[in-house]
Amino acid sequence: MMEPLISLNIRGHRRDFEPGDVLAAEYQVDAIGDDQIQAIESSVLWYTEGKGDEDMAIHHFERRLPSDTEDGDMRVLHRFETTLPNTPLSYSGVIVKICWCIRVRVFFKGGQDIFFDQYFQLGSVASGRVYAS
Amino acid sequence: MVRWIKPWSKKRGDRRTGSRLLGRLGEALFFAALLVVGFAALLFLLAMYQLGRWPADVPPLGIGLGILVLVAFVLVGGIGVIYCVVRVGTSAERRAALAKSAANIDLIRDATATPQDFPNVPRDTDLTNSPGVTLAYRLPIVRSPAWRLFATALFCIVWNAIAVTFAIVSIGNHLRGSPDWLLSMVAIPFAITGIWAIHYFVRLWMMTTGIGPTSIEISNHPLYPGQKYEIQLSQFGRQSIRSLEISMVCLEEATYRQGTDVRTESRRVFQQRVLHLSGVAARRGVPLEDRCYVEIPRQVMHSFQSENNSIQWMLEVCGEAGRWPAFCRQFPVVVYPDCSGEMQA
Repeated sequence: MMEPLISLNIRGHRRDFEPGDVLAAEYQVDAIGDDQIQAIESSVLWYTEGKGDEDMAIHHFERRLPSDTEDGDMRVLHRFETTLPNTPLSYSGVIVKICWCIRVRVFFKGGQDIFFDQYFQLGSVASGRVYAS
Repeated sequence: MVRWIKPWSKKRGDRRTGSRLLGRLGEALFFAALLVVGFAALLFLLAMYQLGRWPADVPPLGIGLGILVLVAFVLVGGIGVIYCVVRVGTSAERRAALAKSAANIDLIRDATATPQDFPNVPRDTDLTNSPGVTLAYRLPIVRSPAWRLFATALFCIVWNAIAVTFAIVSIGNHLRGSPDWLLSMVAIPFAITGIWAIHYFVRLWMMTTGIGPTSIEISNHPLYPGQKYEIQLSQFGRQSIRSLEISMVCLEEATYRQGTDVRTESRRVFQQRVLHLSGVAARRGVPLEDRCYVEIPRQVMHSFQSENNSIQWMLEVCGEAGRWPAFCRQFPVVVYPDCSGEMQA
């Protein structure tokens, strides 16, 4: 099976947000039959990167099934929006990094799934650097 | 490339070295086996009891213990199987969203470690429940030296009790003319360690009582970037202070699993000296007191706490007193994000 295409755009083509801003995004799935999609999940989340084990938390989550649409076709453009929280802000430290992204995950009838991430920046804090005493 | 299982060696390279699907299948099979074995054995035991074929020579305590172990098998296996089934076809995001929904229940939300408006910023309740004498709050210390002293004293007492018992028995044997050389050989290192433990305890005791406690008070809490806060330092004790320094410090801390070990690493990513004193003579019954100001720079990262990662802010008091080695005491604070911009209500 050819891998389907997930188009995910942040409206206004913004990449930098402040706490309290409204993040609006839209996604569309192509190159796949309408009867092959079992569900689509869209999330706005943060996760950590770096030395420690990964932590992850969801800010916004939406799961759509074919029964949620009028004609059962989930490939068409779908929009969603959410108000971003005050914390945690995006951060690039030495051993701890906090990354925000929008993730769209498509589940197929066969049980497989694929996902696509679109990164963005929340807040504007300075990067961490090793302090030399 | 085929990867061989090496349970005795540390994991290297990527965190995940095998197939995710195979891993989940293995987990499910393990828990299912526990459940089946536990359930079957429990049924067998109960059937034996019902049929009156219970072995007469088995003590009741043994039967009770056996039933307890089998019930534990069934519970662990059952919960594990349910967990595996729930994870099949469920994304990590969906599980996290379910966990978030559960955390939003009022009773649980009140007990969580972070305030509702500022997720993953630690609550400052424990830092603001002690009012200061001259300023608003007296900050708690990260780890009180009293606990270390108590643990050392406990170790010292237990170890030396064993060492003295060994020594009495060993010396008694020698005096009776029937020396037990193996016991004597064991008693000697025990006695040496006991003497070292006493020496360490006395040194720690004198350091704790000699240098005396440190108290830090702050004019407001939590702290915000761009704001200035007044700090009151009180250093008790009878020793003259050779040098004393207060710094504002930010640490990144990461916890990770390496094989079966859980390790924590930290990196200092910010340090700003806010007070430096040197050559202060001790005055009997009067603590060393001084005031200073600390300003949190704009655009610094706020305090952050998640399961395995954290960003911690603290005031650190380091100094040298009398003829004692250098000491360092840490007082945690919580830094919120810069509120000069727009914040979500």
